Amino acid sequence: MAKGQDIVQVSKNLCQVLLKDLENAKRPILEATKCSLDNCRYDFKVGYLTPGGKKVRTELNVSSVQKMSRAIFMLEIILRNIDTGAVNTKRELYYISKGEIKHNPALKPLDFADQDESDSIIDFICEMMECYREELNCYANDRGGQTYCNQLVVTETMTDGDKAVVDLSTLGTSPFQPKNRPQSLQLKARKKIDYCLVVESEGTANTLVANGFCKRNNAILMGAQGVPSNAVRGWCRLIQDQLKVPIYFFGDLDAYTMQNIYRTLKAGSAASLIRNSDFSAPEVRFLGVLPADIKKYDLNDYPVRENDIQEVRALKKADDALKNDPFFKDKRNKDVAEILKWLLKNKRRCEQQAFFTVNPRDPIMPEKILVEKIKRGDYV
Amino acid sequence: MAKNITSSSTAEYFAKNLQQVGFSSQTKAILTTLKESVDNALDACEEESILPELNVIIEKVGVGSLKNSDLVRVKVEDNGPGLEGDDLVRVFGEYLASSKFGRGRCSRGQQGIGISAATTWAQMTNATGVKVISKTKSMRLAISATIEVDIKHNKGVMKNKETLKWDRPHGVSVEFLIDGRAQVGGEGGLLTYLTGTTLVNPHLTLHYKLLDQDEVTIERVSNTVPDIPEATSPHPHTMKLGEFIAHSHLFGRVSVGDFLKKGFSRGHEGTLKELVAAGLKRPMLTQSVDNAKEGDFKEVYSTLQKIQLMSPSTKSVLTIGEEALSKSIQRLGDVDFFSVVTRKPTICDFKPVVVEVAIARLKERSVGSTDSSVQVLRFANRVPLQFDKSACAIVKAIESVNWRTYGLVQPKDSIPYGPYVIAISLVSPFIKFKNASKETVDASDELVNELRLALIQAGQKLSRHIRAEDRAFDLENKLRHIEQFGPILVEGLVRILDASPARKKKAEEGLMKLLGRDTKVAKQELADAVVGKQALADKQKLILGIDDEGASLDATGPADEEIPGAVDAKGKTKAEKGKNKKVKNNKVKIEKVKTKDKKGKKKLQPSVRK
Repeated sequence: MAKGQDIVQVSKNLCQVLLKDLENAKRPILEATKCSLDNCRYDFKVGYLTPGGKKVRTELNVSSVQKMSRAIFMLEIILRNIDTGAVNTKRELYYISKGEIKHNPALKPLDFADQDESDSIIDFICEMMECYREELNCYANDRGGQTYCNQLVVTETMTDGDKAVVDLSTLGTSPFQPKNRPQSLQLKARKKIDYCLVVESEGTANTLVANGFCKRNNAILMGAQGVPSNAVRGWCRLIQDQLKVPIYFFGDLDAYTMQNIYRTLKAGSAASLIRNSDFSAPEVRFLGVLPADIKKYDLNDYPVRENDIQEVRALKKADDALKNDPFFKDKRNKDVAEILKWLLKNKRRCEQQAFFTVNPRDPIMPEKILVEKIKRGDYV
Repeated sequence: MAKNITSSSTAEYFAKNLQQVGFSSQTKAILTTLKESVDNALDACEEESILPELNVIIEKVGVGSLKNSDLVRVKVEDNGPGLEGDDLVRVFGEYLASSKFGRGRCSRGQQGIGISAATTWAQMTNATGVKVISKTKSMRLAISATIEVDIKHNKGVMKNKETLKWDRPHGVSVEFLIDGRAQVGGEGGLLTYLTGTTLVNPHLTLHYKLLDQDEVTIERVSNTVPDIPEATSPHPHTMKLGEFIAHSHLFGRVSVGDFLKKGFSRGHEGTLKELVAAGLKRPMLTQSVDNAKEGDFKEVYSTLQKIQLMSPSTKSVLTIGEEALSKSIQRLGDVDFFSVVTRKPTICDFKPVVVEVAIARLKERSVGSTDSSVQVLRFANRVPLQFDKSACAIVKAIESVNWRTYGLVQPKDSIPYGPYVIAISLVSPFIKFKNASKETVDASDELVNELRLALIQAGQKLSRHIRAEDRAFDLENKLRHIEQFGPILVEGLVRILDASPARKKKAEEGLMKLLGRDTKVAKQELADAVVGKQALADKQKLILGIDDEGASLDATGPADEEIPGAVDAKGKTKAEKGKNKKVKNNKVKIEKVKTKDKKGKKKLQPSVRK
């Protein structure tokens, strides 16, 4: 779906085509962009993963008639939501569909056995219309992205048109929680903001704030809470576009962080190919932990254990990523690829909290190191 | 310095360590006693080519002397050749007195420990030995006696000997009164043992009565006594140096070269040449075995290990056969469909081995429902293995197969789920058991792989049935989908677009046209799938049709019993030459059965097609 198009109009056009085909006894065919690594393109100038030419075709036939009728049924519920401005989670939509079926026994064959079934139908609708589910008023819970800053003011336009102004400097050590739908937010800096620091661990971000990071630095501090959610990715994009400040990511030195967290934040993911333009921040840089930091600061690192399933799997994937992932293959991301190669070669990892070993008696030592690294340009 | 060093008899050792030979618990004691008695009876019948008919009774007769135990009677009667008085004492009362020890044939019993251990258990728990009645063809009256083990001297003792009239030409009846607890069901149960035994012995007719249950008779489905192949000579690569030296003196005053040729399988002139080529001096081979020193043997032995030799012959193993197994598996219950595989004999770890697999799906699905593991029946030399499943080569092989590709539910790396019985029989003259009570087979990579191949073959056969079923089910679903979802889809579109009733009607017609074409195709496919499924079922019915004929043969019971008797009579009365004749007779009989089978097939086929 092209930007700026009305979701209702797109849905109706789709239905119109379907119905017309049926009237003419022609087999309707729906085409959707294939969202997988083999259909990823990466151009450093664009900055994020974009879809290639591969499409997934769904033809109406005996096998797909159930899926299509379920999709149209769910679309009807969603269109009604958009009409009234109501929002729901996937689970709520599952129960709403159950309710509809309860009141109309003719729809009984459509009934979903469990939430997985209705979730996959919602995803199917998104694929067909090439939109993301937030545009269908279907939201996930807002996870991650808790933001602290003494210079930032956010204006939120709510669904009824009302506006709310949040001055982050008035929140003390409470964070601002960005929304899954970043389009409704407008940012303004009261004073010049130098940079934005995204910290992988929510807990470490809390520690930095509690120890006065925001008082000493004109910066935005954000906790990513692991793999960045849509909210975090959209929020970073917003900061990049509206405030035009450099963004640094500070996380663990391991294969999982490099591939699943940093890459997703910077260039989006293969699963979300069609919406990476709004949900990635290509300017974000990797501040650390860098392999060189281990030696420089004498950090505690340790070998990857066999029972660390997540990391062992990520290491296995890393080899494949270096060969097939267009992001890591691009020459201008050589520095990031080098880190991945280092991890593959040494099979060691170092957590971001290792900075606390540098001077155990100085609680703001990690902050000092990070600020110093930014000043020196010690990032990739 | 250590004082009081004493020597003990073999019997003393086993009397103190009965747990090592299957008497580790009260339930196992009963099962092991039954198992040893049945194994011996079956081995004896096969030795003399008699179709076995066994009568098993297990009943509680009182309270046992051990804590929480019952006094249980285990009685097994067979129609085997019977034992003479002197043999009775040795078989039941002396450890390691056996006709089977280390001779390299595929018999159930191997060492001669089991039944003596059962006698010991009876003596230890109930203070009496085993009560035996025996009659051979040449005896006019049967002997009845109680046999006990003289534990101090590892000798059998016969008590209360008397002669009596017995209403059968030959056979043995053993009766143990022992302490224990009789467990009928479950993996380690008596019933599992008996049904397992009938499965791998298609030629066995079994009558049994367990505790308070009704008496059950399972008729034989094959009239062919398996011909136990003669043992082949040992292979040089399977021997250790000590054995090698001991073996050398069994062939008289021959040269070392002749000993290698005579005493081993795969030892011939070519082998000697290769030995010389490998650096062995020729005089080493021409000297007499009596003159050879230990060092000489060591040199010959180690050169022998270095050279490549042909794998040992596989002639010494026996198979149950796919046909007999197919019929036999019907005796497990109401079988929906089955697949049977007999592998060619092969060599694993330098020992001949043959693997057979039978998989059956039971109609009564509640027996093993989809959320519980399949029933696994393990057999080694046609003896059911019932304990310590997880360590067994057979179970390891089952777990290594990806059953999901054959349509079964299977958690990762474990036994699959469903209402199936997977029976695996391993036959070899040298099975590596993990312990003396024959509960698990040691898992070498080669053996597990051979078992795995057999299971994969059986799985592939099975999957043809399952896929045909799934396909029919899928297509039925599709047809239902067309009727159900078509109208709902059109209605949804019309509601969203607020379209006119005229458009709705036109779209409905269009959809029906579209899906109507699909329906036609799907209906044709469904018809094909049903035909395919039926063809598979017919194929199995064909075998079962023969099975029916076999059953009707069995139904003429007395005539059947006469067949082995007649054969036996001839064999017994005319000494050595007679024996040869007996074998011939047996072969003739096999051929007769086979031609019948062929005829049966031909007769059946047209009727199936109709």
